[in-house]
Amino acid sequence: MTIIKKFDPEEPKKGFSKKYISLLSSFLFALILVEIWTNNNVVVYGEKFEKLSQLAKQLNLENQILENQIAKYTSLGSIASKSAQLGFSTPESIQYIR
Amino acid sequence: MRLFAVKVFFLSFFLAIIARLFYWQVINAPFLQSQAEKQYFTDTRLGAVRGNILFSDGSILASSNPSFSLYGLPKTVSKEEKTILAYILAKVLQEDDVDNVAKEILDKLSQDLYWVLLKKTVTVEQKKKIEQLNLIGIGFNAESSRFYPEGSSSAHLLGFVGSDAKGENTGYFGLEGYYDGELKGISGLLRHERDASGLPILIGNFLTNQANNGKDLILNIDSSVQFIAEKTLKEGILRYGAKSGLVVIMDPKTGGILAQASFPNYDPQNFPNFPKELYKNPVVADQYEPGSTFKVLVMSGALNEGLIKPDTQCDICSGPIQLGGFSIRTWNNKYFPQTSMKDVIIHSDNIGMVFIGQKLGLDKFYSYLENFGFGKPTEVDLQGESAPEVRPKKEWREIDLATTSFGQGIAVTPIQMVRAVSSIANGGNLMEPHVVKKIKDGSRVFEVKPKIVRQVIKDSTAKVITEMMVKAVEEGEANWARPKGFKIAGKTGTAQIPVAGHYDPNKTIASFVGFAPADNPKFVMLVKYDQPSTSIYGSETAAPTFFEIAKQLFTYYKIAPSE
Repeated sequence: MTIIKKFDPEEPKKGFSKKYISLLSSFLFALILVEIWTNNNVVVYGEKFEKLSQLAKQLNLENQILENQIAKYTSLGSIASKSAQLGFSTPESIQYIR
Repeated sequence: MRLFAVKVFFLSFFLAIIARLFYWQVINAPFLQSQAEKQYFTDTRLGAVRGNILFSDGSILASSNPSFSLYGLPKTVSKEEKTILAYILAKVLQEDDVDNVAKEILDKLSQDLYWVLLKKTVTVEQKKKIEQLNLIGIGFNAESSRFYPEGSSSAHLLGFVGSDAKGENTGYFGLEGYYDGELKGISGLLRHERDASGLPILIGNFLTNQANNGKDLILNIDSSVQFIAEKTLKEGILRYGAKSGLVVIMDPKTGGILAQASFPNYDPQNFPNFPKELYKNPVVADQYEPGSTFKVLVMSGALNEGLIKPDTQCDICSGPIQLGGFSIRTWNNKYFPQTSMKDVIIHSDNIGMVFIGQKLGLDKFYSYLENFGFGKPTEVDLQGESAPEVRPKKEWREIDLATTSFGQGIAVTPIQMVRAVSSIANGGNLMEPHVVKKIKDGSRVFEVKPKIVRQVIKDSTAKVITEMMVKAVEEGEANWARPKGFKIAGKTGTAQIPVAGHYDPNKTIASFVGFAPADNPKFVMLVKYDQPSTSIYGSETAAPTFFEIAKQLFTYYKIAPSE
């Protein structure tokens, strides 16, 4: 007796395969890690940002002070008094060459 | 029935809750939201930096200096601590008079206030010293004060920066006052979310309204010319025992002010310590009778109208003349019958000028006064300019025409006078005077272009009157002081000062106005002394100062003698 089995084509498996599920889980896990890392860093960066902002302010302030000091020492009044101390004087007579 | 009462009770209760929630979340929502924002948002005012004022070569005349205001928090310090705090602060802030300063600070700290301003301008060094002491109950706010590297140089030109009614920095007088809007800039605002410890949250809401810093002013003022003018004027005031003095130097071709010096002046950084009378700029605010310097303008009007020529002879110059009950004489009581117009300027002959005034007539005379810019402001870009009125034409009598012809009975400002003579130097064009050459806003630069107001006299007239002024220098009273070999056009002036209805013969305004080199003028200059005591005459005081400055300017501008 020959038993003939009715051919039933294999039904495609419903839902995601294990492969996809594991990939998605890994991705989500990575995202969670990134979020934890970011949250931790945001607090630290806030402090760093504040420090950098203060440093920028301090440097601008020092720049301005230096600029003003240069202006003070290069002012004609200051140069005239220093040159007089060093013995320089205005020319007594000028000879013009034609 | 009881069940119904319970239901009504619960219903009323829920309705009350809903009503209250509606009140908080809808009606009062904006207020609560703003209250909440105050807790988690920080607002920082971004102060605009006041613009710099620079000489024509870019060197600094005025800039901003970082400083701080020191405040106290009286409620956080005990009475004993306040006394110690006051003395420590006084020692750092003030080296002398520590006791008085400490008392002042203690008085402020003893007030029943949460916050009190202890000192407005604390330097960076003082702040550092105070911070190192780790004191409690005090704090600092960033401020900005004005810094003038040249000290009191150009004080009248600059003006100063003080506080207005709201405590905001505001410019007064001079350039600081005139260009306050451009210099002060617009403050900005930085708003960011903060965490529990007050630090900014990077991913939080962030709002910035950037501050616009003030614009920089680049002047026509040349630092070297300004230095020469100030130094020589200061020496001149001492030498001639004058009450005050001023010098204005202008480029006749552009109307650019190259220098302006006046003494006594004040220190713009410490302006409250000086009398208020010194704040106004005498170059634009002071009125004076120009005396004989005015003669060149009247003469140029008559020459321009073709009513006289340099060799026209004066037929009333043989002696004093009587007009409207007044006797008019020459300054030295010397008379030159049939003198020429050229000699009228050389001898500074008052009678000769009356002759010219009469030739011109009131209508033409008056129109030349207006055309030379008298009676109206020059529109120079400095705050506090005055413009003395010229008497209405219908009120002029014969004697007024006669005296005004030689510069008495009319009031002018130094800037009006130097501008009018400038029009002779440049071929007849009346220029609008300008102190500022460029306004710089970041990378954008706005240039202030020279502006011709009108042509007052013809070029040919300007050449003739220039030659007469050259002769006045070479052969006039002041020729002893002139630098030899250079062609300088000029005119002395000695005007008596009107006191209680009459002229005081011993109190004069001595002046000299002129330009050089006469053929291609590089500068026009006015030197004016108020009440010189060594001599009352312009030829012996203002003229030597003019020539001394001119000599230095020839070297500076590399101008060789023409003879």
